[in-house]
Amino acid sequence: MSENSNASRAGAIRFSNAGIVYPNGVVGMKNLDLEIKPGEFVVVVGSSGAGKSTLLRAINGLNSLTSGKIEVDGQPVPEGVGRELRELRKRVGMIFQDFRLVKRLTVMSNVLIGRLGHVAAWRTLLNLWPIEDREIAIKALERVGISDKAWTKASDLSGGQQQRVGIARALAQEPAIILADEPVASLDPVTTHQVMQDLVRINRELGITTLVNLHFLDLAREYGERIIGLRFGELVYDGSADTVTDKDFEDIYGREVREDDVLDEDAV
Amino acid sequence: MSERALKPPVQRIGWATWTTFIIAALFLISLWAIEFSPKIMLQVPGKVAEDLKAYYPPDMEYGWNAVLPAIVESIQIAWIGTIIAAILSLPLALFGARTLFPRVARVVKFISATARAFPEILLAIYFVPIVGLGPFAGALAIGISSVGMLTKLGAEVVDSIDFGPVEAVEASGGSRILALRYAVLPQVLPEIVAHWLFRFELNIRASAVLGVVGAGGVGGVLLNTLSYRHLEKAAAVLLLTIIVVLAIDMISGAIRRRIINS
Amino acid sequence: MRKSNLTSLPAKPPRNWPLWISVVGFLLAMTLWSAHGIGFSLFELVCNIARGSRLLEESWPPDFAFTPRLFQPFMETIFIAIIGTVVGGILAIPIAILAARNLTLGPLVWFVDRNFMNILRTLPDLFWAMLFATAVGFGPVAGALALSVFTIAVISKLWSESLEAIDMGLPEAIRSVGGTWREMIQFGAMPQGLPHYVSYALYAFELNVRASMVLGLVGAGGIGMILKTQQANFEYERVTMIILAVLIAVLIIEEISEAIRRRLT
Repeated sequence: MSENSNASRAGAIRFSNAGIVYPNGVVGMKNLDLEIKPGEFVVVVGSSGAGKSTLLRAINGLNSLTSGKIEVDGQPVPEGVGRELRELRKRVGMIFQDFRLVKRLTVMSNVLIGRLGHVAAWRTLLNLWPIEDREIAIKALERVGISDKAWTKASDLSGGQQQRVGIARALAQEPAIILADEPVASLDPVTTHQVMQDLVRINRELGITTLVNLHFLDLAREYGERIIGLRFGELVYDGSADTVTDKDFEDIYGREVREDDVLDEDAV
Repeated sequence: MSERALKPPVQRIGWATWTTFIIAALFLISLWAIEFSPKIMLQVPGKVAEDLKAYYPPDMEYGWNAVLPAIVESIQIAWIGTIIAAILSLPLALFGARTLFPRVARVVKFISATARAFPEILLAIYFVPIVGLGPFAGALAIGISSVGMLTKLGAEVVDSIDFGPVEAVEASGGSRILALRYAVLPQVLPEIVAHWLFRFELNIRASAVLGVVGAGGVGGVLLNTLSYRHLEKAAAVLLLTIIVVLAIDMISGAIRRRIINS
Repeated sequence: MRKSNLTSLPAKPPRNWPLWISVVGFLLAMTLWSAHGIGFSLFELVCNIARGSRLLEESWPPDFAFTPRLFQPFMETIFIAIIGTVVGGILAIPIAILAARNLTLGPLVWFVDRNFMNILRTLPDLFWAMLFATAVGFGPVAGALALSVFTIAVISKLWSESLEAIDMGLPEAIRSVGGTWREMIQFGAMPQGLPHYVSYALYAFELNVRASMVLGLVGAGGIGMILKTQQANFEYERVTMIILAVLIAVLIIEEISEAIRRRLT
């Protein structure tokens, strides 16, 4: 990944009194004021339905605000579908809990999907990728350590490997921001730690602003720098991972910390 | 214990019995309406048996000379018709997926329902005066008629895919068209191609029939031989048709299975 | 295009060129050969668009005044479809059962029945109509016979596949307590298989109504016979009227049939 593109990369996010009310009346986000500086590593925690996904998806426009403002690097997140939104999304990479790879395609093709916004449409329609973009994809594969599987069909990979391809796809975008929506929820403990370590390393080495939704509290404490706690769509905690206490978690969740809230049973 | 307690209670007349009554009644009414009499019924097996004797032995020389070219023509008609329908139906199936394009899909559904409504032979009746008698009209008729069915089936396949990758493509800045190319097509292409192949099998039968209205193929030959009561020649037609259709069914079925399992 | 000097990837497995080339080659050859064989010509198509629009003009508006004469032939069409579905439906029952690997009487029986069924499926319905018309004379009887055969083909194929997928627990239990084959079928398989059967029978009826539309084109009764005369006389407004009327009726019947089928499943 070319280190020169750091200069163009910023990745500041600002929510101003943002709110989302779904058509069925459910409140996904309420009075959210949040500022995230470029290069921060933020973990978002909260019980199911607290609005973690909603928050992430508002940043790349998959969910639209119904009130308030949200800005990325000073520009408001565009509404609807169109050129502007695509331009923003090129700079925001997303990693999903269910990996979302195209199973029939190879790992290489899947990672190249991250370059789709950057290459002319006629080229991608005919599968004629320029050499520069292929090199970016190769470097992304190397960074997550999966380049030996470049030509394997995505469906032949394990869950952990598929998620690493998902990360490589996001990296291939050369993004300013990476949004990871419960990236480890479907993985076994060993792979979970590997993926979390990858995300931390990428954040440190490349300075990409990273937001990670987690529902395992011990992981949040272990890997997070800054922890954001949501409850019923509202921000109820904003602090450092070093100083967060179990009581804080209980306040965020509104109940006692349980066994399935942590990855390792010993941590409870 | 008294015997009465061991017998099951008397069953009321259920709806199944009523339905059978109604169907039987409709059946008998229909028989009467078409002036079917027991006399005819007794004669039918006799007449069929009589005819069967006249079909044997089949005139294979006629078969090679006149029938085979006609069967080849039917295959060609079915092929071109299926190709036309496949090319037209692919984009229509993509845009007809209500999960991807909710508004456009309704229009596409209407178009495909209209195209599906017409049996090929009726479309051929309209095409013959336009492009003249012959197989070209038949191919067009089959093409248009098949577009309806292939679009409907194709749209159903597209509706059933996993949308995660589509969202992933769009979340990384790709347009909907690119999402179609990279996230939708790889998922749906094998099943859609299998539908095309099955359609080809059905179209062979359809094209065989079109000769009856002058749109080429083996149907016209059969009609001819039957009209002149050259039953040994007709036997050749039937025999060769059966063999060819079975062969195509087997090959096409095998290819379809390979594709689905790839 | 500059070659990449990054070497961390394993070698890309080469495309299976022989397979690709032969498949694409075959498709191209087949298409060109077929197009030539049928006299496909875009040029012709474009030139004849004028003729086409003239034909459409002649065919529209439909001759509504013609409708009264359609009633009787249309009813004949329906009757033919009913008879065909009932007769074919009944005959399809043993044929389908014997074609199901899990229910049949033995490998030889299955083999013969399966192939018999496949052969029935190869000939299109109009072929059967022509054959029966030759044997028993033109008219609705020939059409009904043809549809019976067609119905056997449709129902037995669909139903035998559905029977192969039923749960064999109960049938096997019946066998194991000494039940005969007939009892196994009647009490073990039919309860599961009947709902599907009814659904397929209704579907066959829908197909038959459509099919009997055109049977008359070869003289096997029904509305097709009027269609043929009108078409031969180039009365295209009436042809359109016939087609329109039948299509509407078919759509109505299909709606009703779908509704019934949905209530079953």
